[in-house]
Amino acid sequence: MLALAITALLAAVWLSFRGFRSEPAGARRMALLAFRCAAAVLLFILILEPGLELRSESRVRARIALLLDTSRSMKFPASPSGPSRAEELQHWFEAHKPDLAKLAARFQIDVYGFDRELQPLDLSRLGADPQGPATDLLGALGGAALAGTGGRPLAGLILASDGADNAELSEGVSPAAAAELRKLGAPVFALPLGAQALKDLAVEKIAVDDFAFVRNQVTVDVVVTARGFGATDVPVILKREGQVVAQKTVHLDGSHSRYDVKLSFVPDRTGKFAFTASVPVYEGEALTQNNQRSFVLKVIRDRVRVLLVVGRPSWDVRFLRQLLKKDPNVDLISFFILRTPGDDPHSSQEELSLIPFPTQEIFQEQLKTFDLVIFQNFNHRPYHMSQYLDGIAAYVRDGGAFAMIGGDQSFSAGDYAGTPIEEILPVTLLPPGPTAVDETLAQLKLSDAGRRHPVTELAAGAGNETAWTRLPKLPGLNTTGPLKGGAQTLLSSGEGRPVLVVGEAGRGRVLALLTDSSWYWSFVAAGEQQGPRAYETFWHSAIRWLVRDPALTPMRVASERPSFEPAGEPPALDVQVRGSDYGAAAGAQISVVTSSAEDPLPHPAGTAVAGPDGSARVLLPQLPPGAYKATVTARRPDGTPVGEAEDAFVVAPSSREMIEAAPRPDLLQAIAAATKGRLIEPGESLGSLPFRDPERVEVGQRTSKPLWDNWKVLALLCLVVGMEWTLRRRWGYA
Amino acid sequence: MFSRRQLLVLPLLFAVRRARAFGEQARLQFAQVRHGGRWDPRPDGLSRLAWEISKRTSIETTPVVKPMGLADPDLFRYPFAVLSSDGGFPAPADNEVAELRRYLSYGGFLLFDDASAQRGGAFEQSARLLVSRVVPGAQLLRIPREHVLYKSFYLLDGPTGRVAATPDLEGLELGGRIGILYSGNDLVGALARDSLGAWEFEVTPGGELQREKSIRLGVNLAMYALCLDYKEDQVHIPFIMKRRRI
Repeated sequence: MLALAITALLAAVWLSFRGFRSEPAGARRMALLAFRCAAAVLLFILILEPGLELRSESRVRARIALLLDTSRSMKFPASPSGPSRAEELQHWFEAHKPDLAKLAARFQIDVYGFDRELQPLDLSRLGADPQGPATDLLGALGGAALAGTGGRPLAGLILASDGADNAELSEGVSPAAAAELRKLGAPVFALPLGAQALKDLAVEKIAVDDFAFVRNQVTVDVVVTARGFGATDVPVILKREGQVVAQKTVHLDGSHSRYDVKLSFVPDRTGKFAFTASVPVYEGEALTQNNQRSFVLKVIRDRVRVLLVVGRPSWDVRFLRQLLKKDPNVDLISFFILRTPGDDPHSSQEELSLIPFPTQEIFQEQLKTFDLVIFQNFNHRPYHMSQYLDGIAAYVRDGGAFAMIGGDQSFSAGDYAGTPIEEILPVTLLPPGPTAVDETLAQLKLSDAGRRHPVTELAAGAGNETAWTRLPKLPGLNTTGPLKGGAQTLLSSGEGRPVLVVGEAGRGRVLALLTDSSWYWSFVAAGEQQGPRAYETFWHSAIRWLVRDPALTPMRVASERPSFEPAGEPPALDVQVRGSDYGAAAGAQISVVTSSAEDPLPHPAGTAVAGPDGSARVLLPQLPPGAYKATVTARRPDGTPVGEAEDAFVVAPSSREMIEAAPRPDLLQAIAAATKGRLIEPGESLGSLPFRDPERVEVGQRTSKPLWDNWKVLALLCLVVGMEWTLRRRWGYA
Repeated sequence: MFSRRQLLVLPLLFAVRRARAFGEQARLQFAQVRHGGRWDPRPDGLSRLAWEISKRTSIETTPVVKPMGLADPDLFRYPFAVLSSDGGFPAPADNEVAELRRYLSYGGFLLFDDASAQRGGAFEQSARLLVSRVVPGAQLLRIPREHVLYKSFYLLDGPTGRVAATPDLEGLELGGRIGILYSGNDLVGALARDSLGAWEFEVTPGGELQREKSIRLGVNLAMYALCLDYKEDQVHIPFIMKRRRI
């Protein structure tokens, strides 16, 4: 604009000069030109109003952000058996107080503490017991940089941390994170704390479903981190309550820090179990707490695996098989004796579809794979099975289930008296003979226990009794001796002969159905316009009860949560006490013992008294980290036992801060490199760090003074223009 | 006193009581459906089949055959019913058809045995009509040779009977099992004996071998009725395949 104005003025002077360029007198020509130039200059001054600006200026100090890690991982040792990282930071701070004082003369020092959040920190309150729940390095750096926006320029950032980030930089400095770091606009100088304890092996992460299916393979994904290790092989072990269930060796190549390991196993029983994945503790490790992690896995059934052994085909067999085969929750393996040694099929073996009875395979090798074994009108004698009966009894006592269904080859008639099978049955047996069966018609009658028991619940309330008495009479019953202690008759005949008896043997359950005509409750009942519902309901309930379906367990215990914090709220157990007759055990004395994989001895952990509804809550004492099993026993006020139940839980920190706590100087190095900073060497003076030192001038006061903005300039302009006009007229110019 | 037929059955009754009876109803006992036609064309055939089953297999049977009407409530105590004739039979009443429908849907098994062994004959027409009334829209279908029926005890390659009128059995599946089976070869006739114990009918064209195969088919039918698809369980398959190849 200014140049344009000047050009315009020069052009005007030049144009006016052309008017008297032919003037022969050089003095006159020069005088006119001088007047016109003077007029132009004066006009220019009047238009531009030139002036003076007076400013009061001062030089501003840049700032340095000092970020100190206050997360809980700083409580871990800085070196094996050495002081904590927080204490190491305190020592560093004490040693570098003079340095900081010198820096403070050049820069403003802003001090922040950071963990999950960034907050100003008073250095006099720098403690040795940091409590920050997480570490977010990128967030802290960004926050500290932004705090200076519009204020002092940032000369640099000093970051004192163990580098155990569990936020955006937990996986390292990604390209996006590097871009964020570059936006800080200042170098980061990082002081790695705990860098002397670089060696650390950790079970960093475990991924597994909340539940698994029994006899189905479960895969546990374990992430192992190794820092400070060269090439070596490390075993990763998975234990269930102290027992190894899977193991794999991972090869550390020294160039990576994270290794994914898949551990697979097949759970062989249902329940809730505490598992622990662990790696060995090596000498010189920074942390030993993170060498194992525990979790709770609930193992459930996808299908109930039933072994049905049948002495001979019959209608009772056929209707039960049809029911079990149609049940999608049942995996049925059945063996029927289709031909006895006395039968003559008039054919060669090759013309028959019969197979040998694989007694060894099913009663020795496969037995434990079954949830329930049913002997239906089956006599063991012809098949030389005496050698397997002990194993079947042991299988039941160890938590299996067994049902014997009546017939002329069953119970006393099946010659089971005095065998291990009689030991687990809820009834005593008689020697085989004519009294082993009773063919008198039996009208069903529900017992007191049967009214409460889930196995005999066909309908709610009083309708249940009616439902049973309406069913067709049974054509005969097996005869037995007296019931055993703890056994319960759920159904009997009108004259009191037991029809259905249940009991427990060790940890297993046993059912005795003393008839071979339960199919009457299906087909014959259908002929009497009742339908087969009673039969189906009875057998479904019986199987669920036998295999301890959790919904039909009389005594239950459940931990409030699957995992508790080591120093958080104490573990709590909710207990529901019902007797084996399913009545609420009001006033029952409840006692809890806990054991762990590390310490399998049971330790008393709490007591309570069941309320009127049989429920109680038991608070356990605070427990150290580990995987625990709580065993709850209940006794009635008179001391008689009610039952026992178990549950598993874990005491472990849930926060990644306490798990992924290994020092990570490599991460700090990467942060520094991304910002053109560097690591601070041990003992290095802070004054030697190459902070940015930008010139920054701050304007305090500003005043303006116009130079020629007055009437004299205007008068002079008028005088010059008048003189030029006068001379031009006198010399004959227009 | 005893009829000639009952006298014949008596020795069978004692013969099959090899174990102490425990509820007669647990045994396999055939029900013979009484209808408006000649409902008992082979009076001794089913008793003889019961005896053969008992002698050859572990199944306990009762040789006394129970004549029952379709609407008889006691029919539900005999899940294996046989409907036979040597000619057509009058269509059962609606209430009888309804009861038969219930009987079959809750687990009963009905064997149609054509004593006339005439393809497309009067009995076959009556049977097909009854099937269409019991399960509207349904019809009897050929039973494939791979069906478990042909391997439930004996390994058989096809159906037989007194004659070889039809090459296949036909049936109708109800709830995943065969509920109705149609035999067009007078199966029971092949087993019938006279009062002196001699075979009542000549078996053609296969002679005694065909009679033996007929007995075996009868045994397989009983085994299927009581065990259903047991022989299709995985454990049996390799054995059966091996023997089929021999």
